Amino acid sequence: MSSEGRVSEFITGFLAEAGELLALANSSLLTAETSARGGGASPRAVREAFRALHTIKGLAAMVGVEPIVALAHRMESLLRAADQGVTRLTTDGIDALLQGVRAIEQRVQALRLGKQVPDAPAAILTRLEAIEAGPAATPAPPEAHLDLEPALLARLAPMDRDQLLQGLAKGLHALRADFTPTPEKAAAGVNITSVREQLKARVEIVKVIPVSVPATAETPAGLTFAILLLAAFEPDQLAAFAPQAGLAVRTLSAAPAPPPAEPELELEEEDTGARPGVVRVEVSRLDDAMERLSALIVTRHRLARAVADLAATGVDVRPLTRILAENARQLRDLRAAVLNVRMVRVSELLEHVPLLVRGLGRNTGKQVQLVMDAGDAEVDKSVADRLFPAIVHLVRNAVDHAIELAPERRAKGKQEEGLLRIFCLQRGDNQLELSIEDDGRGVDREQVARRAQREVPQTDAALLELLCLPGLSTRDQATTTSGRGMGMDIVHRIAVDELGGELSMTTRPGLGTRFTLRVPLTITIVDAFSFDCAGQRFVAPVSMVEEIIEIDPRKLIRGPGKGAGLVQRRGEALPVLQLSSIFNLTSSEPATRAMVIRRAGEATGIAVHRMLGQQEVVVRPMEDALVRVPGVSGATDLGDGRPTLVLDLAALAGTMLGKEAA
Amino acid sequence: MPELLVVDDSKVMRDMIIACLRADPGLRFSHAASGLEAIEQLSLKPFDLVVLDLNMPDIGGIEVVEFIRGQDRLRHLPIVIVTTRGDETSRTRALSAGASRFMVKPFDPQTILAEVRGLLESRIAAQP
Repeated sequence: MSSEGRVSEFITGFLAEAGELLALANSSLLTAETSARGGGASPRAVREAFRALHTIKGLAAMVGVEPIVALAHRMESLLRAADQGVTRLTTDGIDALLQGVRAIEQRVQALRLGKQVPDAPAAILTRLEAIEAGPAATPAPPEAHLDLEPALLARLAPMDRDQLLQGLAKGLHALRADFTPTPEKAAAGVNITSVREQLKARVEIVKVIPVSVPATAETPAGLTFAILLLAAFEPDQLAAFAPQAGLAVRTLSAAPAPPPAEPELELEEEDTGARPGVVRVEVSRLDDAMERLSALIVTRHRLARAVADLAATGVDVRPLTRILAENARQLRDLRAAVLNVRMVRVSELLEHVPLLVRGLGRNTGKQVQLVMDAGDAEVDKSVADRLFPAIVHLVRNAVDHAIELAPERRAKGKQEEGLLRIFCLQRGDNQLELSIEDDGRGVDREQVARRAQREVPQTDAALLELLCLPGLSTRDQATTTSGRGMGMDIVHRIAVDELGGELSMTTRPGLGTRFTLRVPLTITIVDAFSFDCAGQRFVAPVSMVEEIIEIDPRKLIRGPGKGAGLVQRRGEALPVLQLSSIFNLTSSEPATRAMVIRRAGEATGIAVHRMLGQQEVVVRPMEDALVRVPGVSGATDLGDGRPTLVLDLAALAGTMLGKEAA
Repeated sequence: MPELLVVDDSKVMRDMIIACLRADPGLRFSHAASGLEAIEQLSLKPFDLVVLDLNMPDIGGIEVVEFIRGQDRLRHLPIVIVTTRGDETSRTRALSAGASRFMVKPFDPQTILAEVRGLLESRIAAQP
């Protein structure tokens, strides 16, 4: 484009789209690499990567970033040669392409920061060119029979035909599903894109061919789409996956009955296609909406307070109370809606982990198989942003320190390839549990204790506490990848201090270690209990509290310290800590309620005087380091204009128990 | 008011093309993110002109052109190809398949606007 103003207007869009396309190129190339390593090919992945780079090239040319155009052009050219069977794409070739993607990423980053975009690295361009001129591909597999009319068969590329035949050979069903668009279906949102999306989750779509048909009542558009696909299930089940589409399904061949289970894996090829109906929004705008909502919630608290004051003067406030209740419900819905917009899929957050693991594996010479399952868990953008560095840290530690080199693993009778698993699940309403597990050597208790100059810890929890001491390093020398040793203190700070979550670990010598982060899905606005302790008001997030129990002061067994004791709960002894003694508050009457929390798996009660209620509060973090107290996650305004402390009960219990032990 | 269908799998590219053509207030726009989507939309309602990318997922621009030219109703629909593939083979293939114009990205906003206007005017002039 020629006019400057117009170009800059699209830079933001370019940056965002380039990011997505590069991620697509990366994941496709990694898929292709996996196939290449197994001696096979992944034509679809190659084509996806080609398309991503082609689009990047076009966009970069429009916004005038020559170095990116040059890189993308070279890479696209190699991928086209591979796609057309002119060049065989080896792991070396894919490596060069991944290097190219990184070079483009760096240039996109430079553009984002408003820096001068460096020239395309000549070494990469030459390498790509040399590979493209390299040995030719092996010939395609022999022809076999597909039951398809010649006119359609002629419109299939050799690659598509091979894919269908290979699928048949694997015992999948090769099917043709006809979708006929009509204005009514289009009005109901049923179109070729939506049908394809619905099917894509269940089957492998090989090709969609538009077919002209005579315009009749059934086919008003004179058009039918023939969707050619591979499915692991019986043909008659297909229509159920796109119920509104009215698919006509027939089989392309009398394939033998499929063998069970195995083909499922083949279908897991990464689905990275464009998502229709998706709007990209800058995070700052979301933050802005959140800010405004926060202000609204504070105003509501003031309103509720004013109504209460009015009621105290004897005025009938019932109509007002009804409106307040309605308003509360609406605010809750609005909050849910805003939070929902800010949610990011954990699977997206983990998108770059395969690349990270690959790089770490190369640097350390270790073979690592990565298995990720994020399901469809989602977290708030602000949580995702904080969580990612912690994940990177844990993944680095696992590859760098935990997983052994192949000879050592062989000697121990393990698979040569180390296994790294990342999986997560959503707990309750507002908690994400993310685990990173390796099958490496386990954490060496003695070594950690020696480093920390402490006694050898007896439990995993105690061991983790040592690991999280700032500056503790279990490595004698700094490694290039993990810097100075473990850095578990950073992970702990993120999970516990910043996100108000929990970090736990189980480790077995010689067998492996699992770290589990339990963090809230959203932060900033939390549903909280407010309570009174010796005349002071506090709040604590509902998500931390497992149960609220009554305690009978007469049945409380005093512990050795002044703040601790035990009560019976369902026949079991529950340690109870007096909140008043933590804050040095005195009261003539004993505490009669306790909030039960779970800290490192152990239930603990926090005793207070009165529970006041439950409400949504906006947590403002304590920015001032001087004011920063362990156990206090921030302050909130309950509408009276005075700051109320938001307590992190688990951390508070931790400091208390620490005091008791000392 | 003439309605254009802008087909490109890149949203930014679609936005850029539409931004260039918006200089003419007498045009309306729809868009499609894939070749299949384009064919579906063209079959369901009339358009006056198509701006088409060549390289798209599932079905390429050339196939879309071939499909359009194979339909009686769409035989005379003007098609402007906008592509990064500036090589002579692509140009020849696109034009022989029946594309009306062939433009290479990066394109100049004035040029694409002029081409589109020219095609629409000659179409209106050709109508009985």
